[in-house]
Parts: sequence; structure tokens; C-alpha cells
Amino acid sequence: MTILQLQNVTGGYTKKPVIKDLSFEIKKGELVGLIGLNGAGKSTTIKHIIGTLLPRSGEIRLNGVTLKENLDKYRSSFSYIPETPVLYEELTLKEHLQLTAMAYGIDEKTLNERSESLLKEFRMEKRLNWFPSHFSKGMRQKVMIMCAFLVNPSLYIIDEPFVGLDPLGIQSLLDQMDEKKRTGASILMSTHILSTAEKHCDRIILLHEGRVRAQGTMDDLRKAFGMQSATLDDLYIAMTKEQDNEQHA
Amino acid sequence: MNNMHNVWAKRFEHYIGEVMKYMRFVFTGHIAIVLVFIAGAGGYQYSEWLKVVPTDFPAEWIIAIMIGALLAFSRPVTLIKEPDQVYLLPLESQMPGYFKKAMNWTFWSQVLVPVVLCIIAIPLLKAVTELSAAEIWMNVLFIAILKWFNVRGEFYYRYVNRGQSIGLDRVVRIVISILAIQMMLTNGLIGIVFLIMLGFYNFTLQKRMQNNPVPYEHFIRLEQNRMMSFYRFANYFTDVPHLKGSVKRRAWLDIAYKAISFKKENTQAFLIYRTFIRTDDHFYLWVRLTAISAIIAMFITLPFVTWIVVGALAFATTLQLKYALMSAGDFRMDMLYPIPKDTRKQAVAKLLRQLSIVQAIIVTLCAVMQPQFYIIPVVIIGVSELTIRMSK
Repeated sequence: MTILQLQNVTGGYTKKPVIKDLSFEIKKGELVGLIGLNGAGKSTTIKHIIGTLLPRSGEIRLNGVTLKENLDKYRSSFSYIPETPVLYEELTLKEHLQLTAMAYGIDEKTLNERSESLLKEFRMEKRLNWFPSHFSKGMRQKVMIMCAFLVNPSLYIIDEPFVGLDPLGIQSLLDQMDEKKRTGASILMSTHILSTAEKHCDRIILLHEGRVRAQGTMDDLRKAFGMQSATLDDLYIAMTKEQDNEQHA
Repeated sequence: MNNMHNVWAKRFEHYIGEVMKYMRFVFTGHIAIVLVFIAGAGGYQYSEWLKVVPTDFPAEWIIAIMIGALLAFSRPVTLIKEPDQVYLLPLESQMPGYFKKAMNWTFWSQVLVPVVLCIIAIPLLKAVTELSAAEIWMNVLFIAILKWFNVRGEFYYRYVNRGQSIGLDRVVRIVISILAIQMMLTNGLIGIVFLIMLGFYNFTLQKRMQNNPVPYEHFIRLEQNRMMSFYRFANYFTDVPHLKGSVKRRAWLDIAYKAISFKKENTQAFLIYRTFIRTDDHFYLWVRLTAISAIIAMFITLPFVTWIVVGALAFATTLQLKYALMSAGDFRMDMLYPIPKDTRKQAVAKLLRQLSIVQAIIVTLCAVMQPQFYIIPVVIIGVSELTIRMSK
């Protein structure tokens, strides 16, 4: 069953498109890695999916609807962890969780159950009444992660999740992702930590200059690049060289 | 870059540009009208009071204390920037030239307020003392000179002690300045003795400055705080993009959140009420405007004038808070929430309505001694409601 579907999506901030004719889909229970160089269009792609940017042409369907067709259903279907934590300086950790629960129509009992285990997992139980100004970068990231997992949507969109997290935090995040996958959720994750992506992703989408350069399992990618037994790092570097060659040609 | 005068000139030009950019909004804003009103009303009351002031009124002491205390607050405007502590290090020997310019500007930018205060006090001095016009104007000049010494003193002290216990330095200069002005007003030129004392104080500090390196960190912090308070001030009149408001819990107001029950429709209200109460900028904006409104309502005896002023203030309160709370600047997570788009607007309107009621209660209570005070809440709530509905 397809959860997220992008069809020939072209778009960007200005007239000049950043992503061009982008098509891919994510199935139920899949963890898909979105990989590409700086400026390849990863963040722009994510902004189109979460709906802060609207595609100039093409269509994005989430659980069968576009944002315009059914805003409520579309937005309830995903939760988003941005690259840089976006918190309300005037809300405590506890209030962030409450606000998120309210917005997604989660009742108080469920909120308490879910947040209890999340707080324990990310070792933040003692910081419930703290304001973000007292949090480190990693803790701020943890607040975002907890809010996202509290919602329990069908799709998680995670932008560069590992930067700033301590090793225990990274492990907790991976554990949570695995658990959500088991219960049927899909995850789209953009990252530069290639070894982690290679190890955990079911499929990988390699973005290059706003287009999908290759996508599929690791085996599919190795075939596409004609490099047997290559790691994702090797493939990534091969793609970089391709770009250099094009630039110098 | 090797000429420190050019560095200062460039920075000064940029700084003035920045100040002008925002001051334009300050002077064209509705607060300016209110201030003119207050100045007018104050001036009228002052002139009425001068007619009946008793001759034993301690004008000298009051003027000396007010202006003396004001003089001592001579925070230097150095325009030092953060990268300076790296890039200007090799130019340490040329820094005195730079700081001389900085002190000159500090003096000229700060001398106006005490001098104007002193000029405002002239009619009072004429009414209760036997000072001649020449003596009074001598005194204005004396205050300007005293300011010059205070600017130097504070700069030297901060330089030598890196800002440590600046309060102590200020107490010293406050006392000397107050006594100097008081003596000048009562005993004539004996006030100069205190000026010499201040000069000696400065001289000892200046001597200790000689082998001390420039306290960049302190001056940078000072500059950042100063610019921050300027931006905060400007933010009441317009949107200052790079301003990050400070936040306080204000737990005693937690009771205000009680009415917002835990359900989806209340998501934005949950957020907006906390944003208003805990963000200093929003909260103190309301407190300030309500306080001004209450004080005016308490003292103005002409009902018609009171209605105009409290109406204007209710308009200013509601409009500014609405803009502040509705401004769609950076990305916020609630932009992604599966809730109808206009719930934020509704939540803001609900908050503004309740705030106008609270403002009406406070102002009316302050005005109960005035005639027809019961019209005031109608004006405040009516103007606020119209502002909520009519503004976009």
C-alpha cells in the first residue's frame, strides 16, 4: 500500500526550480533514505511534502489525498522533525507535548501513556518543566523527536536527525524508528550519515541536482552505478565525481 | 582600516542610519500622538501649579536630585563590535583616538535630556528662588559641564574595572553631582568645588587606565545590551526582524490558562495565552499602555479628554498586540498542525477581548473619583472590539 506518492513534482523558492520532475513513492512500513549532496534538493523536497512549499507542477499524495483536497487528513497523516529544532521559547517541555497532543486530537490519557515512555526513552523525565532556553542543541532535538513520535502518524518525515544527538540519543531514535516501522508506519529520512542510512534504510533515493539519480535497495543502486559490493559511501563519492566531471566538461 | 578616525566615522554613519530607520516609525506611530497629549496635559498642569507653588518649596533639592541622578547614568556609546576583539587587537595603541570620538558622541547624545529638564525647571526656579536669569543660564551650562565629567568618569571606571561594580562608581558620581547642582543653585560658584572633586576622581581613574588593555568583552556586552534595548523599544512601533524577546514563566498567572480545556479546538488558544503572558515584549507592552491609560484617567478632570486618550490607548494596545501575535515570520510547528487556518486569528481575538475587559476594569477603577467615569469601560471595550474587527 502506498503512503506517500510524488508524481513529476517540480518546484522551488523562486522561479528557478530546485527540484525537477521528481517522482518516487513510499510504501507502508518502509524506511526510505533521502541522500544527496548539499544543495541537491533534499530540504526543498521535504518542504514540498510537508506543504510549506507548493509544487509548481506535479502532485503529492499522502494517504491518497493532496493537501488541497483534504488539508485535515493530509496534515494528520505525517509528523515532521526539522533539521534545526523549532521550539516555542515560551513553552515548557511538558507544554510542547500537550500542545502537540491537542493539535492532533490525542486525548489526555493517551498523551500521558505515550509521553511517559518517550520521556524515559530519551531520558528527559526530569526536565518536564524546563524552558527551551535551558536545553542544549541535542535536548532541543529530543523535544522535536518526542513530539513527532507522540502523534503516531502513518508517515514520519525526518530531516538530518542525527546531528547534535549523543550516541545514546541516536540509538533511542533508531529504536523508535524500528518500532514504528514494525507497527506499519513509514519513514522518510534525509541524512548525510551514510553508514547509518545503509544499515537501516529499506530503500534509498539518491538526489542529484534536483532529480532522482537512482533509487532502490542497496543492490539496485550498486547495479545502477555498475559497482559491485560498493558501500553507500562509495556510491555517494562516485556521484560526486560524476558531478565534477560534468562541471569540468 | 589603519585610520581609527575612519573606522569611527564609518560605524557612526551606519549606527545613525540604523537609529533613524527605526525612529521614523516611533515618531509616526500612534504612541507619538499620545505622548504629545501627555506632554500638553503635563505642561498645562505644571503652569497651573506654578501659580500656586509655595515659596518654601524645596525646588533646589528636587532639581538637584533629579538631574544629578540622571547625569550619573552616562553609559558610554562605543560602537565596539564583537569581531573587534580579534581584528583591532594589533591597533591597541590607536584606540585612545577612537574612544575620544566615542566619548564625544556619548556626551552629545546624552546631554540633551538633563539640559532640557533644567530648562523646564527655569520657571519653577524663577518662582521660588531669587536667582537672576544669568545665574540660571549659568546653571544650565554648569550642568552640561558636569555631564561631560560624568561621561568621562563612567568610561574610565568601566575601562579600568571592566564594568565590575559599576553601581559603586555611580553612587559616587550621583552624590557629587547632586551636591554640585544643589550648591550651584543655593551658594553660587561653590558648586565648582564639587566639579573639581569629580575631576580629581576622573584623573585617578585615568591614571590607572594607562597600562590596561581595552576591555573588549565588557564593551561588546554593553553595546549589545544597548542595541537590544533600542530594538526592543523600536519593536513597539514596528517589526524589528532580528529581535528575540526574552521569556519569563510568571507562574502567578498560570490561573489564566485554567479556562482553556484540553481539546483540539483550543490548540491555538493554549499557545497564544502562554505566548502573551510569558513573552516580555507582549506582556509589558500591555502593562505599560494600561498603566498610562490608568494614570491619565486618574488625573484628567475633563471627561471628554479622558475618553479620547483612553480610547486611543485601547486602540494602540489592541492593534499592536494583534500585529505582534499574528505576525507570520519564521516557521513555527503550529503551521503544520491539522487544525483550521483561522483558529489562530480567533484565539488572538478572544485573548484581545479579554485583555480589553481587564484594561477597562483597571482604568475605570482608577477613575472612580472623576465625573462620568462609567463611560470609560464602554469606550475601551468598544474601541478594542472595533479594532479587532476592522484591522486586517
